[in-house]
Amino acid sequence: MLQHPGKRGCRMKASAVKEEIKFLLFIFPWLFGFCFLFVTPALQALYYSFTDYNAITEPNWVGLENYEKLLHDKIYWKSLRNTLFFVLIGVPVNLVFQILIANLLNMKLKGIAFFRTFYYLPYLVPAIAVVIIWRIIFSDFGVVNYLLNLVGIESIRWFSEQWIKPVIVLMAMWASGSAVIVFLAALNGIPRYLYEAAKIDGASSLRMFFSITLPMITPAILFSVIIQMIGTFQIFTEPWVLNRGGPNYASYTYGINVYMTAFRDNQFGLAMAQAWLLVVLILIITLILLRSSRKWVYYEGEN
Amino acid sequence: MELQGLRLSNLHKYLILIVGLVFFIGPLLWLLSTMLKTPGESLVFPPAWIPDPITFDAFRRLFTNLPMFPRWIFNSFCISVSAVIGTVLSASLVAFGFARTKAKSRHFLFIVLLATLMIPYQITLIPLYILYNNIGWYNTWLPLIVPYFFAGPFYVFLFRQFIMTIPRDVDEATYMDGGNAWTVYSRIIFPMSVPVLITGSIFAFVFSWVDFLTPFIFLQSESKYTLSVGLQLLIGTQSQDYPALAAGSFISILPIALLYFFAQRYFMEGVVLTKTRS
Repeated sequence: MLQHPGKRGCRMKASAVKEEIKFLLFIFPWLFGFCFLFVTPALQALYYSFTDYNAITEPNWVGLENYEKLLHDKIYWKSLRNTLFFVLIGVPVNLVFQILIANLLNMKLKGIAFFRTFYYLPYLVPAIAVVIIWRIIFSDFGVVNYLLNLVGIESIRWFSEQWIKPVIVLMAMWASGSAVIVFLAALNGIPRYLYEAAKIDGASSLRMFFSITLPMITPAILFSVIIQMIGTFQIFTEPWVLNRGGPNYASYTYGINVYMTAFRDNQFGLAMAQAWLLVVLILIITLILLRSSRKWVYYEGEN
Repeated sequence: MELQGLRLSNLHKYLILIVGLVFFIGPLLWLLSTMLKTPGESLVFPPAWIPDPITFDAFRRLFTNLPMFPRWIFNSFCISVSAVIGTVLSASLVAFGFARTKAKSRHFLFIVLLATLMIPYQITLIPLYILYNNIGWYNTWLPLIVPYFFAGPFYVFLFRQFIMTIPRDVDEATYMDGGNAWTVYSRIIFPMSVPVLITGSIFAFVFSWVDFLTPFIFLQSESKYTLSVGLQLLIGTQSQDYPALAAGSFISILPIALLYFFAQRYFMEGVVLTKTRS
């Protein structure tokens, strides 16, 4: 069957196969890592999530027991609630802030590049240093409380159960740089004539913001929502270094819980069940966002 | 641009920008001020804005109380530089494959590659921990370095976006001269990608430098720690010595800040290249 040298179809097939082989050779570094450092471990995690694996004795199949356990695990639900606070409140608050900052930096002013440079810088500060800085300025007798006192507000215990979550949201807000650049790029892509036409029609600037700017940057908003949602679901370092997820589990996130279940309690099977549930949760929310995007994201080329 | 319509005078605009500047840079300036104070002065209320006297004793305490500190700086440098080398070598090769071969499977595999960016690390963390334990990589730098040699999806995406902007005519000319795909990659595309390779290198360096979780999970001996994990020890042992904490943070920020100020162009280009075209 393979020997029909005169037929074009076969020659094309041969060259297509050659092209595939060439491609696979070039992407081999990724493919190898993908297979052995991603797919294999992820499938192992799925398997172990149905076992009582503890890294010491042989794993025994326990069926859905780990997943059932989680239903009644108060700490697990607490960690999920805390994480949802960061996702459902922290991410939207930060997005609004980032869009405002991007608009600010998009003004045509002398020296605006200077502001851009410094607004971006905190994004590059290592999380551990962010925590140290925050511990210093938000300490009970720190500079933030001092400034509040000056305007007549009493000192706040920022790392208390009540305040620690908003403080962590503020940390993320401080490191907005990369998201702001995304919005800046999106703002730059808006054709000027839209504003000029609106101005001729006598539209107010607020009206222009909501009728032109915001719709035009919806693709960037969708992108940012998804990226930040996924990142926030995995938040670990800040609350961990701040107070090991405390006080009283107030900043105990999903990531911290997975870590503790695995490395403190040696319940690897249970931890991997948690990890897989997180993947499923993220997938569901991503799909919902993508589906809903048809209703609120504007794509050029459509009407 | 829209804000212009609010009839704000330039003065008002600058005032708003300065408020923002205080928010973003104030904490860093406070860090600088704190690290030059005595421990006593760092705790007084109301706080002192400018240290008096200015002292560098915090750095001395840092290095005497944590004799490993210079070692951690060295470790972080070695690991981050390895991450850069691995990224440039592997991701550029893979990106070339995605951008320049005509294989049918490349569209599907590229979506797979992007999808892996969305999967949380928790899913592979524990099996990898077990794997690294079994092959003797636990408590070595290998888990922190080797994955960078397997082409991180972010960098493949970044490099591919750039390679797509290089006209295919250049490739064709090389093929005419009897070159093969490897010659095109090594002689043409790789050299032409240098700007984006620099961008990728900077990101790889920074992300490796600031990474906390990977060294935290896979390293045990203090002598092998990176700066991030080492600094965590500092918080544990000297939580009240604010100037020493500040000095330690300053050292962890300094290399990245310098890199940023000297290579700012590449930072911005990288972000724009990857994020606006997806």
